[in-house]
Amino acid sequence: MTAPGGSSGAYSFSLTTFSPSGKLVQIEHALAAVAGGTTSLGIKATNGVVLATEKKSPSLLLDTSVLEKVAPICPNIGFVYSGMGPDFRVLVAKARKIAQAYWKMYGEHPPTKVLVQEVAAVMQQATQRGGVRPYGISLLIAGWDSHRGQSLYQVDPSGSYWAWKASAIGKNTVNGKTFLEKRYNDDLSLEDAIHTALLTLKEGFEGQMTEKTIEIGVVTVPTAEQMQENSGERLPPTFRKLTEQEVRDYLAL
Amino acid sequence: MEYNGGSVVAMIGKDCVAIASDLRLGQQSVGVAMNFDKVFPVNDKLYYGLPGLATDVYTLREQLRFRVNMYRMKEEREITPKTFTHLVSSTLYEKRFGPYFIEPVVAGLPSPTELDPHPKPFISTMDTIGCITTPKDFAVAGTASNKLFGVAEGLWEPDLEPEDLFETISQTLLNAVDRDALSGWGAIVHVITHDKVITRQLRARMD
Amino acid sequence: MTVQIQPQEEAVGFDFSNYARNQFLGQHMNGLPKATSTGTTIVGLKFGGGDSGEEEGVCLGADTRATAGDIVADKNCEKIHYLTPMIRCCGAGTAADTEFVTNLISSNLELHALSQGRPVRVVTAMTMLKQYLFRYQGHVGAHLVLGGVDSTGSHLFTIHAHGSTDKLPYVTMGSGSLAAMAVFESAYKPYLKREEAVALVARAIRAGIFNDLGSGSNVDVSIITKAGCETLRNYEMPNERGVKSRNYKFRRGTTAWVKENIRSLIVKEDVKITSGAGKEQPGIEPHPVPVGAGPGGEEGMDVDS
Repeated sequence: MTAPGGSSGAYSFSLTTFSPSGKLVQIEHALAAVAGGTTSLGIKATNGVVLATEKKSPSLLLDTSVLEKVAPICPNIGFVYSGMGPDFRVLVAKARKIAQAYWKMYGEHPPTKVLVQEVAAVMQQATQRGGVRPYGISLLIAGWDSHRGQSLYQVDPSGSYWAWKASAIGKNTVNGKTFLEKRYNDDLSLEDAIHTALLTLKEGFEGQMTEKTIEIGVVTVPTAEQMQENSGERLPPTFRKLTEQEVRDYLAL
Repeated sequence: MEYNGGSVVAMIGKDCVAIASDLRLGQQSVGVAMNFDKVFPVNDKLYYGLPGLATDVYTLREQLRFRVNMYRMKEEREITPKTFTHLVSSTLYEKRFGPYFIEPVVAGLPSPTELDPHPKPFISTMDTIGCITTPKDFAVAGTASNKLFGVAEGLWEPDLEPEDLFETISQTLLNAVDRDALSGWGAIVHVITHDKVITRQLRARMD
Repeated sequence: MTVQIQPQEEAVGFDFSNYARNQFLGQHMNGLPKATSTGTTIVGLKFGGGDSGEEEGVCLGADTRATAGDIVADKNCEKIHYLTPMIRCCGAGTAADTEFVTNLISSNLELHALSQGRPVRVVTAMTMLKQYLFRYQGHVGAHLVLGGVDSTGSHLFTIHAHGSTDKLPYVTMGSGSLAAMAVFESAYKPYLKREEAVALVARAIRAGIFNDLGSGSNVDVSIITKAGCETLRNYEMPNERGVKSRNYKFRRGTTAWVKENIRSLIVKEDVKITSGAGKEQPGIEPHPVPVGAGPGGEEGMDVDS
């Protein structure tokens, strides 16, 4: 028997309840939290995907080297977010476990879409379960798999998800998307996409854009040779974060 | 294993695979049925055989049917032979300390993809708790497995065309189960190629 | 009474539901079926460092025979399992257990590496393995040789199925461990050069292959140094099968069959155009999709109108 109003049992009502007009205001508030977060964006190219984000520090005294906004989930998938950092870390931990559970079952890493659906289901649960609030983040998920190739998804606090050619979330979404719409074309290469990502980030960037204040993750499409399985070895990862040196080189161009 | 009897064998050919089983269902030494097929399709170019305890054949077949259908709906694609093998293996290992008495055999032709336009034919077997072996020639399981090992080792050769593979796997199975009291009573062979699946019920000894 | 509306805790661990039935069947039949085991010779040794003038590292070796009772179930299996980019683990004992235990720990080590943001240490792998094996009191029959290189140097361990571990400069395990250890005891020296280490490991495995019935076929070797891991699959193949002098193909039509069913996988279809798809057609009202609540719309959850 749990006490009424406890965190579990029959009396723990969902905090997300419909307003008479059919809206879930908690979700709208969560989206507001996302819109207040730093800008993140993703662009799909012909031979890969790029994820980029601004790493904003509220104080000069903060050691930003510990901050991590682009997170590898499994060798073929990576996340970036806008919104609340703590919520992101919880989701990343869950997503990594989901990816490993899939690997243990099928002996291969999950396709991007499957992981997106699983993570979206986790976020949806938080809009319906008792005693919890929705996650205060939107995710951009980039990945590669043999079935669908490279892909870019966005997941919102409601649990809705979409596949994008390019998208921006967080602060300046509208400007960012307008900019991307102008710059995007269907035969963008990964190198072009990285530059476009940097240019888009530059729009409305507060302060100096350096390798310390942005983070970049890339998905690359492997060659048939790279997919050749050698005994005792794992296939090379298709998602990776760019090192500070690499980011510096791209910024210098 | 020895309660109901039965055996399965699979072989790799040139751009084709074959999988065959006997048709006997027994209750120890008493023959009960001669139409007990132990080989089932997963999709067009992927079949698997489940020799072993008959009650577990049904349980595991339904369990795998469920899991493959879930996979197909979630992923919107057909499962590959290799992934299916891993799925069977993890399904078996879940019951590590109370296993299904089944030694599955998987045989399939992976579909060509952009990165792998000429995939190799695939066969695999597992023990009762899901330890995978993926041979390059042939795989055997069931009460006649010892005999099948011997005959297949002698008869199999590389790069057999579908019709030649049919003869080799059929003769391997028939001659092995003829020396096994618990297997036999008819046999069925599936030869899987890229454009068709040939299924033949063999004429066999009925004693 | 409260109604449980929280989702159930995810089921973990093994399912024992068939255990009682199987014990019964085992008593009434001639024993339970045997699982594939790796009779096995697996070895490992540390080399380099000291006055060898070479980078220190570990060298692991294994044979490639898997057995089911007295039958050779696999003539060329892989017993050197991947744990992390710089850690490998040789497995002896129940084949499925060595495979699944190393996969499980490899998976957990990857999660650990991701959350810590650094490569994992060999002792971490060793501790996770021994704690898991101890929990199952030896029923998970994995006997392991663990080796690798991390930020603190190169390390070599053995882990027994009950969870005990040893840290030694040269180790052997499996049914061929006595044969292999005889070689090590007579020829091992500290600070071997890399080439000497590989040769000695291969010789120890060969001793197992030729003198132990549970071991056979080929020699697999893995060498791990700070520079990386090199896996030499089938480094030596002293037991290759001879080529058949004739072929044993049957004349087509040898096998008599009673029924045939050919399922064609080539889909043929005739397309008959009945109306212009996507074109405006007279007498048909177009129903446009409602605009506004589309992808990325700031509406939150979409409600179908």
